[in-house]
Amino acid sequence: MTTSSRRQFLQRSATGATLLSLAPTVPQFLLTSSAVAAQSKPGEKILVVVQLSGGNDGINTVIPYGDDVYHKSRFTTRIQNNQVHKIDDYVGFHPSLSGFSELMQQGQLAVMQGVGYPNPDRSHFSSMDIWHTAVRDMEKMRRMTGWVGRYLDKNHAGVAGDSPALHLGNDRQPLAVVAERVRVPSVANVDAFKLSLGGQTQLAPIIESAAKAHRADAKPDDLLGFLQQSTVTALLSSKRMQEAISQYKTSINYPGTGLAQRMKTIAQLIDAGLTTRIYYLTLDGFDTHSNQAVTHANQLKELGDAMAAFLKDLKEHGHDQRVLTMTFSEFGRRVKENASRGTDHGAAAPMFLAGAGVKGGVIGKHPSMTDLDEGDLKYHTDFRSVYATILDRWLGADSKAVLGEKFASVSALKA
Amino acid sequence: MALNPSNAWLAFKPSLDQPWSAKLAAHLFRRAGFAANSAELDLAVKSGLDATLDRLFSPKAATAPEGDAKSDRHFAADPARFESQMASLGSTMMATGNAQSLSSYWLFRMLFTPDQLLEKTTLFWHGHFATSAAKVDNARLMLRHGDLLRAHAMDKFVPFVQAISRDPAMLLWLDAASNRKIRPNENYARELMELFCLGVGNYTEDDIKEVARAFTGWEVVRDEFRFNKYQHDEGTKSFLGKSGNYNGDDAVQVVLAQPAASRFIARKLVKYFVAEEPELSPEIIEPIAKELRENGFEIGPVIRRILSSNIFYSEEAIGRMIKSPVSLAIGLLRALEGSTNMNQVAQSLERLGQAVFYPPNVKGWDGGRTWINSSTLLGRANMVRSIIDTKETTFGGGKLDALAKTHGKTSPDSVVDWLLGLLVAVDIPRDVRERLIKVADGAGDRHIAIGNAVHAISALPEFQLC
Repeated sequence: MTTSSRRQFLQRSATGATLLSLAPTVPQFLLTSSAVAAQSKPGEKILVVVQLSGGNDGINTVIPYGDDVYHKSRFTTRIQNNQVHKIDDYVGFHPSLSGFSELMQQGQLAVMQGVGYPNPDRSHFSSMDIWHTAVRDMEKMRRMTGWVGRYLDKNHAGVAGDSPALHLGNDRQPLAVVAERVRVPSVANVDAFKLSLGGQTQLAPIIESAAKAHRADAKPDDLLGFLQQSTVTALLSSKRMQEAISQYKTSINYPGTGLAQRMKTIAQLIDAGLTTRIYYLTLDGFDTHSNQAVTHANQLKELGDAMAAFLKDLKEHGHDQRVLTMTFSEFGRRVKENASRGTDHGAAAPMFLAGAGVKGGVIGKHPSMTDLDEGDLKYHTDFRSVYATILDRWLGADSKAVLGEKFASVSALKA
Repeated sequence: MALNPSNAWLAFKPSLDQPWSAKLAAHLFRRAGFAANSAELDLAVKSGLDATLDRLFSPKAATAPEGDAKSDRHFAADPARFESQMASLGSTMMATGNAQSLSSYWLFRMLFTPDQLLEKTTLFWHGHFATSAAKVDNARLMLRHGDLLRAHAMDKFVPFVQAISRDPAMLLWLDAASNRKIRPNENYARELMELFCLGVGNYTEDDIKEVARAFTGWEVVRDEFRFNKYQHDEGTKSFLGKSGNYNGDDAVQVVLAQPAASRFIARKLVKYFVAEEPELSPEIIEPIAKELRENGFEIGPVIRRILSSNIFYSEEAIGRMIKSPVSLAIGLLRALEGSTNMNQVAQSLERLGQAVFYPPNVKGWDGGRTWINSSTLLGRANMVRSIIDTKETTFGGGKLDALAKTHGKTSPDSVVDWLLGLLVAVDIPRDVRERLIKVADGAGDRHIAIGNAVHAISALPEFQLC
C-alpha cells in the first residue's frame, strides 16, 4: 500500500462502519487508546534483527583480501582478489554479497569490524545465549531474559494492542525476545494475523460488533477492559493487514528464498501500520565445518539479496527512515581453514547495520590476522556497545536499564 | 459480604442471597479442573457444593456420568481402566521415541481423566518446577518427571521437593547432573530457593553456596539418580541460620522450615486457583500460609480449603483470571464432550504459548496478561474454529445439534444460553447474546450453525476470562 493509499484506508476506517462510527456505544478508553494504539505513529522507529545461526565466517564475509595471511590460511575457501567486491584496498565483500556492496555504495550499510566479547565461548549454545541475553558474566546477572525481552519489559509491558515484538519463522523462539512481562509471539507466517472463518464469512461482522459492544463493567485497567481492548485491536489489525496485504504493491522483485519472503512480510506488516517495534528473524546454516565454499556462498547470497530487496521496498513505501536492520552471529570462524575444506568455531566477526539511518561505511579496523586468541580474531568492539547504541539512539530506551551496565556507544547511526 | 482475613477462607455456605447455582458450579469445575460438561453440571447443582467437592477430591468413590460405550469417553468413567489405558498409550508413545508427542499424550490425559483436579494441580506443579523437554531431550525421563509431579501433587511438600531434587529430568534441566565436592554446582541450590521454595529476597548468595555443598555427590548416571559418597562434602554447612553436616534432603527441610516458604507457596496456589488480578494482599493470603505451616505442608487439604471458601465463590474470584491456552482448549472440549486430533491441539497450543512439557524457561508460564496479544487472541478463536472444522472431531460422539438435543436444548436461545453457561465465566452484554442467537439460528445445517455460535463465543473478550 502506498503512503497515500494507506491514508485513504485510514480515512475509511475513521468514517466507515468501523470503530469510530460506533462511538456512542464504545467506551471512551477504546476510542482513545486502542484506536490510537492500533495505528503506529509515523515517527516510531523499528528494529529488524537478523540472526545468522551457526557462526558466520566473518573472514569470508568481509574479506581481508589485501592480507597475505588470508590467502595463506584459506586454501580452498579463499576468494580471489579479482572476485571480491572491494570496499577499500584491504577489505571487500564476498562475491555473493553484491546486495551488500550496493547498499554500501548508497551509504545504507555500516560494517562494524571486530565485534565480540571478553573470553569468547566457542560453544554454539553458550555463545548464542551470551548474545541473546547480553550477559557475559553469570555472576552479575542470570541468563533468564533476552536483551530485546528486557527492553520490552521496561517499555511495553501490559499495554493492549499489537505485540511490541514479533518473531517470524518456524524455528524455536530465540532467548533474545524472552521477557518477564511480555510474551512475544512466534509466528510462521502472516496467517497468524487472520481470523479464520472456515468459509463462514457472515461471522466476521458479528464477531467484530460483539467485541466492540458496550460493556458497563469493563474498565480500562481491569482484565475485561484489557481483553476488550486487545480483541478490538486484534480484529482491527487482522482486517487492516488483510487489506494491506491484498493491496500491497511493490515494484521490487523479492527473491524466492525463505529469508526474502519473510522480509517481504515484514515490509507489508510495517506498511499495514502494525505498532510492532521489533521484528526478529533467523537464517540458519552457517555452521560450515566442511566443504564450506558453495554452502557459504549460497547463505550469503540469500542474506544480501533479501536485505537489498527489503531496503529498496521500504524506501519505495516511505519507511526507510524509520527501519533499522541489524545482523549478528554467535561467533565468527577460525582464521585457518580445517582439513575438511571448512572452518571451525572462532571468535570476533563483523556485524552489519543497514537502513537510511545508518552512517554508511566500515567502522573500526579489521582485527589483526596474526595477533590471535587461540587461533581466532580478537575483538575490539563489545557487541553490547552495538546493542546500547541501538537501544539509546534508535529505540529511545535506557540501555543501562536493559543491559545492566553502561557501554560505550559506537558511531554507526546518523545524528 | 466484605471479605477480610478472618472470613475469606471460611467455608462458603450457600444462602438465599447467594444460592448454589450452575454458575458457581461451573466456576468450581473451571478452576478445580478444566470444565464441567452438562451432566456433571446438572449433578453438581442437584447434589450441592459439599457432595461436588467430595466427587472432585475422590473421583474413585464417585459415580461418574455414564459414558457412551463407543466413544473415547467411556473408559474415563472407570479410573482403574483409565490408568491402564494411559499406561499403554504412554508406552506406545515411548516406542515412537518422539518427544513432541509428549504434549499430546498429556493433553489426552487431561481431556479424558476422571480426576480433573489432580491433572489441573499437576499442571500447576509443572509450571512451578518448570522443566522442559527442549533441553532434557529424553521422552522417557520427561514422562517420569510428569508422573512424579502427579504422584506428589496433593502430597506433603517436603517429600515432594526431596523427590524433585532427585529427579533425573530436573537435574539434567538445571545442569546439576554432576555436583562435585570441589566445584559445587550452584544452579540447583539457587532455583530451589528462588523459584521452588522461597522467592527472591529470602536468602543470600552465601546461603546458595552452602546449600549447593549439601547437594554435592547427587548425580545422574545412565538416566538414574545416584548418590556418589566420594563426591559428597561431609563438612558443616551453614545456611538460613542453621548449621550441620547436611545432605540434600536436610537442606530441603531447612529451606522449607522458613516461614517465607509457606507464604510463597500459598501465594502461588491462591493465584492459580483463586485470582490473578487484582493481586490479593499478603494479609488475605496469610491464613492459607498458616495452614500449610501448621498441617505439615500438605497440599491437598489446603486446595480443598481454597475451593470451599467464601472468597472463592465471590466476585473477587469469578472471572478474575485469564484462561491459559491449555485450560481454554481442554475446557472447551470437556464442556462439549469433545474428542479431536490432539496432535493438532498440541500444535495450536504451542503457537498460543503453552506447549506442555516445553515451558519457556525455569520460571514457567507467567500467565495472566502475558497470554494475550493480537496474534494469540486471533489464534485462540482460530484454534476453536479448527477444532470444530476438523473431520475427526466429535461432540458427545456425534454432532453439536445432537448433543444439544440430548441435553434438551433445541431452540436457538436455549442453545446459546446452554453454551454460555458451559463456556463463559461472566455475563455478556444482552445485545451480544441476541447476535449469538441469530448465529445459532442460521440457515442450513444445525451442527454448523451451533459450531458458528461456539466460534463467535470463543472470540468474545469474556470467553478469555476464567
